[in-house]
Amino acid sequence: MIERLIENVAQLILLLALAPLVTGVIRTLKARFQTRRGPGIFQPYRDLRKHFGKSMVIPETASWIFTATPWVVFFSTVIAGLMIPMVAADAPLGLFGGALAVIFLLGLGRFFLALGGLDSGSSFGGLGSSREMTISALAEPAMMLAIFTVAIGAGSTGLTEIAGAAIGQTWRFLAPAQMLAFAALALVLIAETGRIPVDNPATHLELTMIHEAMILEYSGPYLALIEWAASIKQLVLMTLLINCFWPIGLQPAWFGFGALKGIAWLLPKLFLLVCAIVLLETVNAKMRLFRVPELLAVAFTLGALALVSTFLF
Amino acid sequence: MLMRPFLTMQLGDRIITLMAALVLVLQIAMVAQRWIVTHIRIFAAQSFFLAIIAATIAWLNHAPHIYVAAALTLVVKVVLVPLLFERLVDRMQIHKEIEPIVNVPLSVLIAGGLTLVGYVVAESFYRPEERGLGHNALAVAISLFLIGFFTIINRRKALTQVLALLSLENGLFLAAISLTYGMPLIVELGVFFDVLVAAMVLGILVYRIRESFESMDVSRLRRLRG
Amino acid sequence: MLIVALLLIPIAAAAASFLARGRALMERANLAASVATFSVAVALGGRVLASGAISLGNGFFFADSLSALVILLTAAVSLVCSTYSIGYLRDDQNSGALGNDEDGREPLRQLRMYYSLTPLFVFSMLFMAVANNLGVMWVAIEATTLASIFLVTFYGKVTSLEAAWKYAIIGGVGLSMALFGTLVAYYAGHSLAGSEALHGLNWSVLAEHAAQLDKTSMRLAFALILLGYGTKAGLAPMHTWKPDAYSEAPVPSAAILSSAMLNCALYGLIRFYILTSRSLGTEYPSRLLLLFGLLSMGISVPFVLVQKNYRRLLAYHTIDHAGIMVTALGLGGALGSLGLMLHMTFHTIAKSLLFLCAGNVQQHFRTDLFSGIKGSVLRAMPLTGVIFLMAMLAIIGMPPFSLFQSEFLIVRAAFDGGHALTGVLFVLFGTGVFAGALLHVGGMILGPAGDMPVAGPRPWRNGSLLVLAAALVVIGFWVPAPLLELIRGAAQVVSGQ
Repeated sequence: MIERLIENVAQLILLLALAPLVTGVIRTLKARFQTRRGPGIFQPYRDLRKHFGKSMVIPETASWIFTATPWVVFFSTVIAGLMIPMVAADAPLGLFGGALAVIFLLGLGRFFLALGGLDSGSSFGGLGSSREMTISALAEPAMMLAIFTVAIGAGSTGLTEIAGAAIGQTWRFLAPAQMLAFAALALVLIAETGRIPVDNPATHLELTMIHEAMILEYSGPYLALIEWAASIKQLVLMTLLINCFWPIGLQPAWFGFGALKGIAWLLPKLFLLVCAIVLLETVNAKMRLFRVPELLAVAFTLGALALVSTFLF
Repeated sequence: MLMRPFLTMQLGDRIITLMAALVLVLQIAMVAQRWIVTHIRIFAAQSFFLAIIAATIAWLNHAPHIYVAAALTLVVKVVLVPLLFERLVDRMQIHKEIEPIVNVPLSVLIAGGLTLVGYVVAESFYRPEERGLGHNALAVAISLFLIGFFTIINRRKALTQVLALLSLENGLFLAAISLTYGMPLIVELGVFFDVLVAAMVLGILVYRIRESFESMDVSRLRRLRG
Repeated sequence: MLIVALLLIPIAAAAASFLARGRALMERANLAASVATFSVAVALGGRVLASGAISLGNGFFFADSLSALVILLTAAVSLVCSTYSIGYLRDDQNSGALGNDEDGREPLRQLRMYYSLTPLFVFSMLFMAVANNLGVMWVAIEATTLASIFLVTFYGKVTSLEAAWKYAIIGGVGLSMALFGTLVAYYAGHSLAGSEALHGLNWSVLAEHAAQLDKTSMRLAFALILLGYGTKAGLAPMHTWKPDAYSEAPVPSAAILSSAMLNCALYGLIRFYILTSRSLGTEYPSRLLLLFGLLSMGISVPFVLVQKNYRRLLAYHTIDHAGIMVTALGLGGALGSLGLMLHMTFHTIAKSLLFLCAGNVQQHFRTDLFSGIKGSVLRAMPLTGVIFLMAMLAIIGMPPFSLFQSEFLIVRAAFDGGHALTGVLFVLFGTGVFAGALLHVGGMILGPAGDMPVAGPRPWRNGSLLVLAAALVVIGFWVPAPLLELIRGAAQVVSGQ
């Protein structure tokens, strides 16, 4: 019992601390690729501190949803983060449902974010919300199919079991079902975290925004919470992708040197994924909104094929 | 041929399965593509992976004539034909595809459906006691064939139709090496020669169509009816 | 030895034409080569009759009566078309149809292309008939497509490009299916004990051990081959390229396409049919063959009835006859196979004659529409008119011409074999095509006199016409004994009796 509590707290601290770092590394690396110097990898921390210190401005026309959204988003993302295997195969919070609960929590966060965007009453918020919902309507099925594929392989939807089933079989990754599911999840990752080619996180043009448009009216601590939650969601999805398919270095349990070894394995894997994302962002341009369904259709088809292929082999 | 100890049957099977999955992903990506130059490059990548599959099968089955087939694939389909077509695209200055007949998300879904059909057809070829190497490869091959066929009907730019035809032939090549470990060498040589000449001939035709019609859109080829 | 000579002569002609400086050398090279090829083909036929099937190069080349017949027909057609094309292309050059120098297309370049590609085309057809290996057969037939594409675009018109594109793509897809079928057939045979890689695809080897071929694979293989080689033969529903290609290609090429190449496509189909029938029995293949054959015959009827363009009319006619031959193959048995082979022979003569006549008409009247022929052909070009009408009557099956005999034989085979519905449909569709063709062509030839000038003398073209017409008439009454033997032998190969 006590061990569980410690595990939860430890993973919580890891999540909160690591997420802004990952965002910072992505931004700096992207800048370096474009031969700029970049803001430095610790800039997101400074941004968070700055936002927490500022006062807030709330629109007159906003309702209780506006004030509730940042809290819902933050806590749902954090709880989802506690449910995934980051350092050890054994996830600290094993809620009933496993992978489905994670998807639900992330979906809950997104739902409230969209509502918050609508609630502020500005047209850009509505624009962002409708776009976000379009994308998620297509990305969610793909993600679920991919997760079900790995769940069938592991015999359960619990993320602990999924990660555990893959430990010790390095070449399992090469099975076609796994490969297709990985491809599908990678495409969904891009869509869900709002990266180029789906959405540009660094844009200043409101008409091209998706995620940014929804949070346009937030300021101060609320903005800090939402941004932090976005980074945590990004970290959660990246870790999910890595640890479900390539769980090298996942420890069986948290204690002993296990935790340190686990973190030591996690960081390089995350860095590799970060490099891949940065490469993708630099090489591609943002897609028109009406082209995004095509990308997600590919993800959906790959996910469906992955699922079916588990039955055919 | 010395067989190095690390390349066991199991590892070979995994490599082939991996490459086959990549080939399938690339074929689906081709269906979703809009840029002709990317089309050409995806085709080149697909042929490259096919050459690797052929080489792996050749190694594991001690069949030297498949090495020749792999080398031919490399030279003809990865280097020569894509080069030819890229130069053609440069000369014609057309880079983008117009909307296909069935819109892209639906055609991707149809491609997925055709892949399933391919898997089902491939199942009937293998009896349980005869599980040869590259069991997945045959399914992917038939899917490539079906998806290529669908793309020919679906797309309107002449060059894309030619690329779809070539990817159809890719599927046949993969089927040949996974089903019967390649056809007799002379047949393979003949087929490759045909592919090369066909690519050249079709390239010339596409160029002339572009010159005459000011566009590669084959839906404009409607003057002959009845 | 004969086989090697047969194959080398067209290649030599192609090389000579490619390197030649002037038109005269190209014409002579082509003519000489086609005469030589014809003689070798006759000699080959004689040899096969005398000593049975020939096998050369460790089984790489193989010629039995079926091959010999197809080779003979191909060589005959190419001979007649060579003589015809001399006159035809000279007329084109004079009238400027080959392009002027301002156009950027010099006539000489066009001539060179024609005279180099046509022997290559003929070479690939001959190669297909002597190749034993099914895969090599496929390579040869793909080569015929590639060689003939630029013949279809010969006049460089916008419609020619369209026709060539349809031909290329539909032919390409069809042949890919045929390749797949060949592959599956190879798979079906790979379990034959002791079959090395090369021999595993040899037709003669597979035919001997046909009973041991894997049945499910052979079913799939035959279906694919029927779709594939059927596309090349122009069976419905894969026929849409035919009317366009036949109406846009220069007339001698169209004649070769419609007779010799059709024969080659059917040859490939027949070889596979023999394998399949020996392995699976005749029921499955004949069901499929009858389906496609009757479908082709049926589809051509409405298009023949409402046709406005006489070259497309001839194309739909060819689709109809391809259907007839495939139906005959499907009916099988001794009668059906004999009918098939007779029909193949007679159809080759009549169809090429028809195309050559159409060429004469087109060059004189400069239009290929019925409505454009204002005057009657009979008055402007008496010889052509008479021969055209006669050939048309022959090909729609009017007695006493030869095609009546072969079609009658096929109908008899249908009723004898218990395929009564097939027989009835056959007669029905035949009547439809009969009516349509006679109506249009008769009207074109025997219409009221117009004001078109009488055509001048055309020795090359009319000479070839006369020779073919004479052959057509004679063959209605008397088939030379060796030819008949060859036909019977071919029928025996098909039916196995």
